[in-house]
Amino acid sequence: MDYSIQKFLWTLLGLFIVLNWGFLMGSTMRRIGARLAGRVGVPIYQPWIDMIKMISLRTYLSHGVLYYIGPVFRLVGGIGMFLFMPVLVGSEIWSNYSFSGDLILLLYFQSFGMLGMALGASESGSPNATIGISRGLAQFAAVEVPMTLAVIAIAIQHHTFSFSEILDAQQGGFMNWTLFTNPLASIAGMLAMLGAMSHSPFNLVKAPNEIPIGPPTEYHSSFLSVLRTNSAIIHVVEAALFMNLFFGGADTWFMYIIKTFFVYFISVFIGMVFPRFKIEDSVRWFLKWPTVIGIIAVLVAAYWK
Amino acid sequence: MVGPIYIIAIALGLAFFLGFFGKSLKDVSAFLMLAGLAFMTFISGQWLLAFFNGSVTTQEIFTAGFRPPYSINLRMGYEEAVMTTMINVIGFLGGVYMFKRLKEVGNSAMSVFIVLIMSLNVIVMTRDLFNLFVFVEIGSIATAGMIILEKNSKSLQAGLKYLMATGVISGLLLIGIIFAYYFAGSLNIDGIITAHVGVTKAGAVAVFLIIAVLVLELKPFPANGWGLDVYQSAKPGFGAIVSAATATAGLYVLYKVLPMGGETWYPYIVLIGLITFVGSNLVGTRQKDANRLLGYSSIGQIGLVMTVIGLQPILGSKFSFIAFALLLNHYLAKAGLFWLSGIIKKEKISDWYVLRKNKALLILFVIFIFALIGFPPFPSFFGKYELIMSLVSTENIWIAVLILLGSFAEGIYMFKWLGDVLKDEDQTEESLNISWNKFIPIVIVGVSLLAAGFYSTPYVEGAHYFYFIPLGFIVFMGLIDFLPAYVKNTLSIAGMTYYSYIIYPLVEGDLMRTIFFVIFMIGGILTLIVGYNKKGKREGFYPVALMMYAGLATILTSDSMFGFFFGWELMTAGSYFLIIRGKRSKPHAYSYMLFSVAGAYLILLGFAFAYTSAGTQDLIALKDIAVYTTLAYTLLAVGFMTKTASLGLHIWLPGAHGEAESDVSPMVSAILLKAGVFGLMLLFLYMGQQTGETLLFVLGWVGAFTALVGNLAAVFQEDAKRLLAYSSIGQLGYILFAIAMMTQLGWLAGFTYVINHFLFKAILFIVVGGIVVRTGTHNLYQMGGLLKKMPFSFVAVLIGIITLAGIPPLSGFAGKWLFYNAVVLKGWYIQGVIVFFAGSIAFMYAFKLIHSIFLGQLKDNHRNIKELSPAILIPAYILIGGIIYFSAYPQNVLEPIGNMLSAYFPATVDWSGDGLATTVLSYWNGNAVLIIIVTTFILVLAYLKLITGKTTKLEQFNIAYSAERPFRPETTHVSYNMFAGLNKAIGFLIAPGITRFWKNISDMVLDLAGFIRRLYSGNGQVYAVHIIIYIVIFYFISLG
Amino acid sequence: MEYIIITIGFALTIFGLYGILSQKNMIKIIIGFSLFTTGINIVMVAIGFIRGGTAPILDEAGKEIGKYVDPLPQALVLTSIVIGLGVTALMLAYVMKLYQDKKSLNINDYKDLKW
Repeated sequence: MDYSIQKFLWTLLGLFIVLNWGFLMGSTMRRIGARLAGRVGVPIYQPWIDMIKMISLRTYLSHGVLYYIGPVFRLVGGIGMFLFMPVLVGSEIWSNYSFSGDLILLLYFQSFGMLGMALGASESGSPNATIGISRGLAQFAAVEVPMTLAVIAIAIQHHTFSFSEILDAQQGGFMNWTLFTNPLASIAGMLAMLGAMSHSPFNLVKAPNEIPIGPPTEYHSSFLSVLRTNSAIIHVVEAALFMNLFFGGADTWFMYIIKTFFVYFISVFIGMVFPRFKIEDSVRWFLKWPTVIGIIAVLVAAYWK
Repeated sequence: MVGPIYIIAIALGLAFFLGFFGKSLKDVSAFLMLAGLAFMTFISGQWLLAFFNGSVTTQEIFTAGFRPPYSINLRMGYEEAVMTTMINVIGFLGGVYMFKRLKEVGNSAMSVFIVLIMSLNVIVMTRDLFNLFVFVEIGSIATAGMIILEKNSKSLQAGLKYLMATGVISGLLLIGIIFAYYFAGSLNIDGIITAHVGVTKAGAVAVFLIIAVLVLELKPFPANGWGLDVYQSAKPGFGAIVSAATATAGLYVLYKVLPMGGETWYPYIVLIGLITFVGSNLVGTRQKDANRLLGYSSIGQIGLVMTVIGLQPILGSKFSFIAFALLLNHYLAKAGLFWLSGIIKKEKISDWYVLRKNKALLILFVIFIFALIGFPPFPSFFGKYELIMSLVSTENIWIAVLILLGSFAEGIYMFKWLGDVLKDEDQTEESLNISWNKFIPIVIVGVSLLAAGFYSTPYVEGAHYFYFIPLGFIVFMGLIDFLPAYVKNTLSIAGMTYYSYIIYPLVEGDLMRTIFFVIFMIGGILTLIVGYNKKGKREGFYPVALMMYAGLATILTSDSMFGFFFGWELMTAGSYFLIIRGKRSKPHAYSYMLFSVAGAYLILLGFAFAYTSAGTQDLIALKDIAVYTTLAYTLLAVGFMTKTASLGLHIWLPGAHGEAESDVSPMVSAILLKAGVFGLMLLFLYMGQQTGETLLFVLGWVGAFTALVGNLAAVFQEDAKRLLAYSSIGQLGYILFAIAMMTQLGWLAGFTYVINHFLFKAILFIVVGGIVVRTGTHNLYQMGGLLKKMPFSFVAVLIGIITLAGIPPLSGFAGKWLFYNAVVLKGWYIQGVIVFFAGSIAFMYAFKLIHSIFLGQLKDNHRNIKELSPAILIPAYILIGGIIYFSAYPQNVLEPIGNMLSAYFPATVDWSGDGLATTVLSYWNGNAVLIIIVTTFILVLAYLKLITGKTTKLEQFNIAYSAERPFRPETTHVSYNMFAGLNKAIGFLIAPGITRFWKNISDMVLDLAGFIRRLYSGNGQVYAVHIIIYIVIFYFISLG
Repeated sequence: MEYIIITIGFALTIFGLYGILSQKNMIKIIIGFSLFTTGINIVMVAIGFIRGGTAPILDEAGKEIGKYVDPLPQALVLTSIVIGLGVTALMLAYVMKLYQDKKSLNINDYKDLKW
């Protein structure tokens, strides 16, 4: 079989696994959250049911072309992030399309889905959507600061932006993980992750009670199913990003699942404990401690180089 | 050949003769007066011609048959011929101008006028001190006589003050003369010079008195209140004579007698000239009265020429050209301005908007103002350039700095005035009453200014007649200004295309210049296409637009510093006029001009250092400047940064770009700003990393903060075009930061940003400008929901903002990728993070822009709005084609640039055949990314299509919104203060501190001027006291 | 002798100047000017004076060389007097016109033009 087709099929398989793991992880987290609140929670297969229900709805309402392709942008953004990052360490078949770009591409590709989604949601003319977007963009900008600092600290440390080289450097025992070789950068990065994951206290983008779930507020049926698909993928991929950066990556699918679960769990756990920030507080917060830690991380890395 | 003595004979005879004519023969006598003046002009003119051809040598005319010292002698040499011709020409033209008025007053006025002109002739020609005294006195009396032409209380007062002042001055002159005679035994200037009277103490006092008095005749600051009053209150027609002719004679006399005292006196003249030039122009900044303002300017300009006279020993062989260029420039421009004032008849400069009623006069006014400030192609430009070069290369840097300061102060009020004239609301119905006899002299001096500039060319190293070719075309476009816009647009495009074709060989082979060539010329043509959208005549647009492009082309193609500076100033002038065309652009164009002029002066100083170091005008002189290295490079960098609007020097940009016309904004934003970048790039390449280490480091930080502040300010704008304008500041900050890194990757990033910013900012400004016109509002919150009305515009803006935000797969990401690599390799981590933060912020205003215009709620008054015209969309889509190509094949663009740069920097980036870019840190395949994303997009879209059935189209307002259908789009369209939270968190970063800083500076200058001008109390006695004090201080400085 | 005259001349000049600068009445100021120029003229004549010299007229008596006083300063003084006359006349004319305008001879009343 032609190599490129082979590659394509392997990647598709990986995407399928990640999608289902995303669904499962989502429902698991919701159950954990419910237990903490003293409720029973949704059944573990709830996401799949939701998907089927949404796709099989018979009414499809559209605000226009942009509204229509907004979710497409969003999902391409999520899939793209998956495509441009290797899944397993040192594996050729699970390296996806990470040869066409590295960490920098990934950082900027986050915006692709955001932009498309923002445009689609805005076309509906719903103020709630736009308010959510404006909050999201502000928070995203602030989160990027410690994130960039962490990435640069890592790049200085390993002298590369390539995932495979960053991963290679972390192999051979957990003491080689960036978490231990560069703890400051890891702290800055993980704090940034809290914002990137958009869980409480940084969940004012969707803020269900104030601006009924924000940007996707006008989406329904198959459109919403695409968005849900994306959020399942993106949660795993975001977790995988931080796993690759700080926790040594994964050399098997098992490790992949375990590690992404725990990375994701951190953000959910903190979300359980803290109430929601206002947007200005959120921006200030990210520009304060995570940024300071990030700057120190960069300076330390530059010093040790 | 008619002897020069006949100038005196005819004038005296005529003046005497006219007295016998009765009132009934007024017409005859008026024509006789003109004929007499014409004949005087003819005499001096033929001598000038003869000297020019070299057919005569200097003539000494002895009176009474004796040789000096026993008789008075006159001299007619080349210099005298020039000066008398100048005086007589202005006398004749002035006579024509004042023809009716002189006729009204009567024969006596004509006699006085002729006598005045004659006395000035003699002052120039005489070689005898006492004769000089006599004719200075005759001149004063005649002047006092002419002042009363304007028969009102003010001119009477001015005349009396003038008489008092000149009375005191002439008394002192007499004492000086008699002592000079006592010590030298001769009244002949040459005799006194050879007698070296200055060596004895007492003789020096005599020389001192003569020189001091001649200086005082030139109305030095601050002992010149009486002179200002004359300028203010006399007939403007006569003011022209005083400013042009009397000053010419006075300056020549000073030049003539200075050798009497020997070398030691020259520095004092320089000092006096400088104080006058700077002080007079400084005080002028507060002036509101047009004629008095012209007085301040005249005195300032005379001070400048005086400085040059004092600099004669330093300037050496260049003295004649510089002094003559500056004198001639002042002479023509000031005569023209005074004559204009006589037509306008408005005291306050803010009332001069009536000038707009006559286009020819307006153009002449503009010519005079630009000539005075020293813009090309006027003689003062050449003169000042040479002057600064010579001063700096002879280590007289402070003099150069003061001259530039004085020029700047002059710019402050001249451009204020020009702005008032061009933009102030016309409040009168009355039309201008222009008679031919007043109009023609002004045209003659205006045209002479242009011609004088043209003929200055051979005297300046690095100047070529070639530079005048586009100017000729501009003049042509000005002459056909009455044609409809589309005709002129086509002609302009054709002209620019042809000129691009001509100059292309000059840039071919130099990739950096080729890139800027594409931006300047191709970009220029594209933005001109947008002009087809405009109806009517668009008066005055094409000459100035072409002037800007001509300047840009000259910058690009010149191989000398002079050529570069010529182009730079031309571009500044053109862009100023483009910017001020906007409805509310007056204050912004003004601040743009002030920053530009100041920046240009810094560049000039920098060039002068380079010239000093290398001894050539070739651009290569910028390499390894050996004198004042750091200072020179800093000056140049800051000078260029005024055009790139870097932080601190950016306050002019938002208003200037935001308020400009819809197709001017892309010109000045996407194209013009790159001129500054070109300058910086050129500078950095010549400077090199080693020399500029510290400077580059500082500039890196400046660039980073510029990016942050520019972008952050853009986020909080409600005005669509200002948002884009602030965005330009931010983007230019990136560029500055990138090239300040001085690595191959940094420069590649810089070039990528240059190209991208050109492409997307042109698209955004073209389209948004069109939308602003269509919707009739600048305010984003008053737009909304235009997507369905203007889908093509939307796509253009969408492509633009994706590129702007640096989102893959479009070419904006190429810049980001290069940036990350460059930052980490360079080690500018923290600055880099600030820049990346700025990038995230850019995303916010990009969204705000596209959302507020195209998405959200459509407003009721926009329901019938139409898509933009093809004239706007076609250039935009051509530019989009550029973005798509650059995005798909970044290698095709970046690889050659990288190769070019590897001549200057170590190569750090490699390209493989299939589009993969690699650095030691990172890799990126733009082509593959584009393919992957497009493929994924198609697949996902197909999937969504598959699972989605037939959709029902929703109406506007049909949204989930608290179970309401909000019928008022205004209340539902989220745009105003969209990022309130961010503002609350970090809005303090863009508090207008820098604007306040510059405001305080300008207040300080104006307060200082207001304080100093209280010297001019209006009391004639006080002015006499000033004169005495001036003499005493001068004495103690020079001899004490 | 000539030094005394020179001194007197200078004293007159200073007096005149003082008058010009201190008097408020414009007529008195003009008188100051007259004194000022007269003083200068006296100085000029005194400088050209040669002790025991004769008037510089070409006649039989004066043919002895060196016995003329210098004729030049005297010529200058003559010219200077004429010019002084012209200036004074013009000033008086100005003052007259000004007086017609404002009915005041005080120079402080004529400060409409300033700054």
